[in-house]
Amino acid sequence: MVIQILISLFILFVLSRIVLRWRDGSISFGESIFWLLLWIAVGLLVLLPQTSAVLAKVLGVGRGADAVVYISIIILFYAMFRVVVKLEFIEHEITQIVRNLTIQNAEREQRDQRMHADPPNSGNH
Amino acid sequence: MKIIVVIPAFNEAKSIQKVIRDVKTVVPDVIVIDDGSSDGTADLARSEGALVYQHILNRGLGGALGTGLVAALRQKADCIVTFDADGQHLPQDIMRMVQLIAEGKADVVIGSRLKEFQKMPFRRRLYNDVANIITLMLFGMRTTDSQSGLRAFSRESAKKIRLRTNKMEVSSEFMKEIYTHRLRLVEIPIKPIYTQYSMSKGQNFFVGIKTLIRLIVLRFMK
Repeated sequence: MVIQILISLFILFVLSRIVLRWRDGSISFGESIFWLLLWIAVGLLVLLPQTSAVLAKVLGVGRGADAVVYISIIILFYAMFRVVVKLEFIEHEITQIVRNLTIQNAEREQRDQRMHADPPNSGNH
Repeated sequence: MKIIVVIPAFNEAKSIQKVIRDVKTVVPDVIVIDDGSSDGTADLARSEGALVYQHILNRGLGGALGTGLVAALRQKADCIVTFDADGQHLPQDIMRMVQLIAEGKADVVIGSRLKEFQKMPFRRRLYNDVANIITLMLFGMRTTDSQSGLRAFSRESAKKIRLRTNKMEVSSEFMKEIYTHRLRLVEIPIKPIYTQYSMSKGQNFFVGIKTLIRLIVLRFMK
């Protein structure tokens, strides 16, 4: 089927990306293994659709395709949750940076103003 | 005892000068956290003699209040009062709250708009009730006004409070911090002034939903 060829090509593309990202150090070894296994599993399901029937039987779902959709949705929701939490964390870190910068700038300004109003060397010589 | 009033402000050019002037009749030390305003709020605040701290990026109410607490602690405040920039609070309420801190009767005082019967507009009241119930469910704190912007902290309690959220959900986060650090909270009734301007600044429904989602995430973060 055409769809199998298309998805297989896409999977090959993704696999090559994963290896490249691992080599340039963007993702760790463990992460690259995780993504490789995940995409190889997807490839298996695409090339040998009957394997999903085994999955369906184990899970007690009617059809293989249904089992794949259910599992995908669960994984997607979990991934989204991870992203939301991560985003909140990054927002918090940005605030920390802005806060430190703000305090530093304001306190330097305050010091300058005090110096200006009351120069330390203005006494009589 | 050194009292510092912290006013978080984002594009409040219309009201900030009058608010600072009114507060200064009661407390001389005022810190304004300008949260990345683009309407000259910071300069207006400086012209009224407030210490101004400027965020280079808009971080939201929570981010600004967090900076305010840190700034006030570094200015050696013994008591820190947070005050809204939209002019909905009465400066006269500040001293009643500070007194409770000074006498050691409370670690945190919150000015509640609902402690006694108040003419809060119905929609605000509804949002407020929902916010109170959510605060109780998520963080175990029973309050009459979890969203009030008028709060007073002793130096010791301000040191313990760690704010992680950036936006409106910070009001509930204060409750979480009060609960986890076992701080003594006292609520006193205050009279809010609802002008058309301050009404336009409140939360709307969709912001409320977003706030709720962030609070749930916060609940499950360490």
